[in-house]
Amino acid sequence: MLTMLTAAVLASLAPVQGETDTTIAVPAGASLSVNNFGGAIVVHAWTQNRVKIHAEHGSRGAIEASLVGNTLILKASSRHGAPSVVDFDITVPQTMALTLSGTYTEIEVDGVRGAITAETVDGSIDVRGGSGIVTLHSVQGSVTLADATGRIEVNSINEDVELSNISGQINAETTNGSVSLWGIKSASVEATTINGDVEYEGTITDGGTYTFNSHNGDIKISVPENANVTLTVATANGDIDASFQLPFRGTREKHRYTFKLGSGSARMEAESFQGDIELRRPSEMQMHHKDKDKDKEHEEN
Amino acid sequence: MNDQWTDRLSEYVDDELANGERTALEAHLATCAACRATVEDLRKVVARARALDDSAPKANLWPGVAKRIGAGKVVDIRSRRFSFNVPQLIAASIALMLLSGGGAWLALKPPQIASDGPFTPAPSQGQLQATWTGKTDAAIADLQNVFDRNKSRLDTSTVRVVQQAFTTIDRAIAEARTALQADPSDAYLNLHLADTMRRKLELLRRVNALATAQS
Amino acid sequence: MNDKVLEDTLAADSIGADAALAASGDASAFERLYRTHVNRIHSLVRRMLDADEADDLTQDVFVRAWEKLSTFRGESAFGTWLHRLAVNVVLGRRKTLGVERGRFQTGEDPLEGVSAKRHTPELSMDFEEALANLPDGARQVFVLHDVEGYRHEEIGRMLGIVPGTSKSQLHHARMALRRYLDR
Repeated sequence: MLTMLTAAVLASLAPVQGETDTTIAVPAGASLSVNNFGGAIVVHAWTQNRVKIHAEHGSRGAIEASLVGNTLILKASSRHGAPSVVDFDITVPQTMALTLSGTYTEIEVDGVRGAITAETVDGSIDVRGGSGIVTLHSVQGSVTLADATGRIEVNSINEDVELSNISGQINAETTNGSVSLWGIKSASVEATTINGDVEYEGTITDGGTYTFNSHNGDIKISVPENANVTLTVATANGDIDASFQLPFRGTREKHRYTFKLGSGSARMEAESFQGDIELRRPSEMQMHHKDKDKDKEHEEN
Repeated sequence: MNDQWTDRLSEYVDDELANGERTALEAHLATCAACRATVEDLRKVVARARALDDSAPKANLWPGVAKRIGAGKVVDIRSRRFSFNVPQLIAASIALMLLSGGGAWLALKPPQIASDGPFTPAPSQGQLQATWTGKTDAAIADLQNVFDRNKSRLDTSTVRVVQQAFTTIDRAIAEARTALQADPSDAYLNLHLADTMRRKLELLRRVNALATAQS
Repeated sequence: MNDKVLEDTLAADSIGADAALAASGDASAFERLYRTHVNRIHSLVRRMLDADEADDLTQDVFVRAWEKLSTFRGESAFGTWLHRLAVNVVLGRRKTLGVERGRFQTGEDPLEGVSAKRHTPELSMDFEEALANLPDGARQVFVLHDVEGYRHEEIGRMLGIVPGTSKSQLHHARMALRRYLDR
């Protein structure tokens, strides 16, 4: 079923100062797609089956909305050809699946419990929530994700990637930035960067696979006391430092060491070409993390 | 000569007797020369078994094998699924690099095999590295050309950011290559270079997709 | 790390690299693997069966390895994987020849009264010939346990016998062979 919400409907709701405020009823299970060349896309959640749209677009900008199948499509457009900056503030049903994209766009999502795909080029992505499939890509922008579950794929190119309180399968990557994973419950984690540190604090489940890679940065991993993991650490120029005894019963090649902790059930690889590899107990990691937060607060004050 | 313990002597030699039985048998051995001699003999047999040398087959069996596996034909990589656990091995990494994303794909053509001649010696590790990086370098160069043609579609600040990322990866690749030259047979260094080059390929593909989407 | 360990590691790495190359279709890498392992495989096959069939079966093993290389997961050393595959090929051959399980004798000296089957005109046999002349069951258990290092539970599973039978066959084989130690 193809229903076109005519531009007239929205335009008539747009006050002269270049804002749009409207609420659209959507069928249950509908998904939302927003494309905004420049500006912001901010999404909140509520329990109603309607989508509330607030957009500030100036007098040259406009919003096009259409319902195609089960997807509500919002597109920022401009009356005069050159794209204008639009700031969206959208409230959606809690379980609505989201596809958000833009170029010079900052994306923020809070409280949504459906699948989320967000892509931008120059802009940060900040998501709290998400379940099912969560895919976040930025080029020049940091990517932060919290409180999500499912199949998670998060990457940036030139900035940091931060994941916290996530459960599910995780793939986190950047090139010029750090990857930090905190409060993770997962049996499949891959975290890679070239120029930056990698930090992992989370479960090491039996049978799981965990891969941490950096070229220039340090890798810091929390290893719980009772973890059963076959751990391979490799570094060409860095140091390997563990807060606990690493069992000698392992294999050693020139740059690569393998240790078996407990039953060795999970497999973990931590490799950094130039950086150090640190293996810590969870309590140590958490203490250090709190100190870092305190420092950050100090800096911001 | 047989007594009630004779049949258990192999288990004793293999340390498979339960504690109580072993103690009892050892007590018996203290008094039975025949059994002691047998234990000695059994140990010698085991030692002799372990010392058996492997000997070469009299005939050269390779040509028969080569014929049956169709050596000398070009093999379509795509029809052979393979996966290795990390630590991965060089060829797997290369093939994956070149296959995933459908850019530059090359079949690994096995060189001609002389049917009866002396076997081809393994390429020195330095040569091995040259082969695989050569192909990957070509794939990267291809994608780089595509990017150069398309980058005008991206705005300048994006291009700048992307170039920064390229610089980062290129430097990492150069460092990995240098380390590898000093140590060409090291598995980790080979892998690391392969991984880093793969990151470059992926980045190139991604920005090319980005550029073509900006139309 | 001492030199020998480093050497072994490099060798293992380069064999591992060959396994990866061979898995992707590189037949000259596979030939290198063949050269590295053929003696061991041929000897295993010869001792488990007999010299007549060893050549054919060795080729079968390598052809099968080529076909199955895509399933090699690199978790164990390539040699270990190949070895297991060879044992399976040998045992599979046993089945197609219609060998029943009743071939496990429990008589006195299995080699009593048996003279050398081939080659050696003298009455005395050397250790390997005596091994070749053992009854099939005892010989295979002996080869798998004492020569190749498998345990009784594994041997039991492979040959379709209980570990207890494996133990007693091993004992019989050893008792029979002890007279041929010094030849």
